[in-house]
Amino acid sequence: MAELLRRLLRTPQGLLGVLIVGLILVIVVCGPWLAPYGPDTLAPRLRYRPPSAEFLLGTDQYGRDILSRLLYGARSTVILACLATGLGTLAGALIGTTSAFLGGRADEAIMRTIDAILSIPSLLFALLIVNLLGKSSFSAVMAIGIAFTPGMTRVTRSVALAVTKQDYVNAAIARGERGGYIVLREMLPNVVAPIVVEMTIRVAFAVMLFATLSFLGLGAQPPSSEWGLMVAEARRFMHLSFWMILWPSLAVAMVAIGFNLLGDGLRDALNPRT
Amino acid sequence: MNVLEVRGYSLDYATATGFVRALDSIDLAIARGEVLGLVGESGSGKTSLAWAIMRHLPPRAREQGSISLAGQSPMTATEAEIAAIRGRRIGMVFQDPSTSLNPTLTLGQQLAEVLQRHRKLTRRQAWAEGEAMMARVGLKQPANMMRRYPHEASGGEKQRVVIASAFACQPECILFDEPTTALDVVTARQILDLFAELQAETSVASLYISHDLALVSRVADHVAVLHRGKLVEQGEVDAVFDAPREDYTRRLLAAVPRPDHRLVSGKPAAGIEPLVEVERLSVHYGRTPFLSALVGRRTAQVAGNREVSLSVRPGEILGIVGESGSGKSTLARALTGLNRFEGAVRFGGRRIAGRRDMDRAYRRDVQIVFQHPDSSLNPRQRVREILSRPLTLYGGEARIEALLEQVRLPATYVERFPHQLSGGEKQRVAIARAFASCPKLVICDEITSSLDVSVQAAVVELLVDLQRRNGTAYLFITHDLNLVRQLAHRIAVMYRGELVELLDIDDLSTTGPRHPYTRELLDAVPPPREYKS
Repeated sequence: MAELLRRLLRTPQGLLGVLIVGLILVIVVCGPWLAPYGPDTLAPRLRYRPPSAEFLLGTDQYGRDILSRLLYGARSTVILACLATGLGTLAGALIGTTSAFLGGRADEAIMRTIDAILSIPSLLFALLIVNLLGKSSFSAVMAIGIAFTPGMTRVTRSVALAVTKQDYVNAAIARGERGGYIVLREMLPNVVAPIVVEMTIRVAFAVMLFATLSFLGLGAQPPSSEWGLMVAEARRFMHLSFWMILWPSLAVAMVAIGFNLLGDGLRDALNPRT
Repeated sequence: MNVLEVRGYSLDYATATGFVRALDSIDLAIARGEVLGLVGESGSGKTSLAWAIMRHLPPRAREQGSISLAGQSPMTATEAEIAAIRGRRIGMVFQDPSTSLNPTLTLGQQLAEVLQRHRKLTRRQAWAEGEAMMARVGLKQPANMMRRYPHEASGGEKQRVVIASAFACQPECILFDEPTTALDVVTARQILDLFAELQAETSVASLYISHDLALVSRVADHVAVLHRGKLVEQGEVDAVFDAPREDYTRRLLAAVPRPDHRLVSGKPAAGIEPLVEVERLSVHYGRTPFLSALVGRRTAQVAGNREVSLSVRPGEILGIVGESGSGKSTLARALTGLNRFEGAVRFGGRRIAGRRDMDRAYRRDVQIVFQHPDSSLNPRQRVREILSRPLTLYGGEARIEALLEQVRLPATYVERFPHQLSGGEKQRVAIARAFASCPKLVICDEITSSLDVSVQAAVVELLVDLQRRNGTAYLFITHDLNLVRQLAHRIAVMYRGELVELLDIDDLSTTGPRHPYTRELLDAVPPPREYKS
């Protein structure tokens, strides 16, 4: 683990990724304590303020402090995105490994189904699921998780196919192990490295997809300070104060860039040949 | 004057934990028309030396000393000068011809390119010359061979093409890096004959790198023994083999399997019920495509085994030999339920007609050890977990420490991962895993062929010891005839999926083989020369 971190910090993108993601984690954990005001504290006389010493990032249409809202909103935004990615990754890894292990007709059937689902754009697919499950943060997490599953399945299966040809899998079959043990204990640990890389990159997509859903009014609901929702609400008041839309957009972009860099760094660090 | 001279050459590789010495003050020289055999185990630095001479080292390499080619030093040459030297003045033949040829170019294009580049021939001249070279290295129908792609030629034919392109520009020096290791014994023998012939004809200076002592003793004039980057002994072949001075050389020579030195005494009791009977077992590869099945069209299937019948008695070691692709491993995989098969296996009075019939008892009694321990041990599991699985499945009362002790490994290894063990130790763990369920039959699929000769000797000795103690029967699959003659009670010879001969080890020495293929195999691998210890 320490060795991995050292290798990660040696590359510029890994170092930058760790710094940004570390900062995001600090905000997620300590955000509410760092915030100068409450997220819902109204100040009707101080609306649409540009950044100043009093309100570092300005105020919104109700006079709420944008910085405080961002700090509070980090929890819902980042945690939900990670949760959704984790869900999609777990499901994809299991389906992909199982499919590669089964092989033959079963593999064909599973992968062609996955291909069919993959052909639906993930935003559209997520919209469909949210409409089925109803509007809430939970259904947005489910939607993004399910929308990510086919892609993760493909990535996992391609790695798992190489693993099925290894003799330790043959040895387990010859020993008479059950399929579940072979998939979970013999194969899955050996496909983890590329999945972890893919997962960190997808967290960035999840944040954006989540923001998009909230922006469309299908994810988090007001008065939540989820970042996507903040962008959506600020859109109507853009001509009064462009700061309102700028800050949450920058926050989303920072999360996306941070996780992308971390994923790039991890890819190099987990590959011993570089 | 020496064509190639290496003086006080040391090579270090920079790693995360500092410099690692790959070669340590190497001194060697090869004169015109001479063959120097460089012998060493894996990791001894043989290939590093070849790359150093070819001037193809990674940027993290650091060198000392000198290399000179006919008085000039390629170490100080520029990139362009080196490019002119490679191929023109130094040739190289690699281990695996299937990876050293470009699969998207025809053999003729690859050979002609060398001639065009280094001898400045026109396309037409190069093609004609290439054809002549093909004929010279003993390829039949050279014109036809020139137009073929690498996948359309056999391994032996491809290696001949590689040799042809190495000799094409009449270089002063050629490096051979294990040129026959990836080939079958019969093909390897032919390639060696070709090498000897071309060597005598062109009187090129050759560096012949190999791990196989017996082979080097046949091809080389001088031999140099490399051990952990150091040359421990160097001299005339006869001198080194007849009177090795260094301890390491002596150990290496002692580890070479000699067919007349039997490791197994006695014979399994005759007349008792056989442990396993294989009855007309066939394996076909490839499944019928769905559409073909629908319209009832028959598709051609590749046969891995054709109606193989044999039996193994309790406590017997049955050796199975044959070239690669002869169906040895296919048989092993069928017997362990990894391949579908037709026909039947009779085990302990029960008839097993397919994979579904293989129940717990059968799986417990028939175990397999694979060729590459790197691949057969899960890299993410500790030795403890690897060894505990058969125990939990079959409930043996043995403890993991006892299993390790059985294969002569310290009990402290239980918490290690496979990558923290050496190749021989890994194979011991794989053997311990196979023996954990106290099986009656262990299938050893080329288990020693990825190991160094000294490690191989220790693993074989361990197997013999386990057989003596547990009375386990072995199906010992190998391509090493000398090794199998040391071990087996009977030898089964496979050729193109068929069992062509099954002979008793005593008959082999008295009456000799009956089938011409068996005779060809035996002729290809003469027993190693005797040495005085």
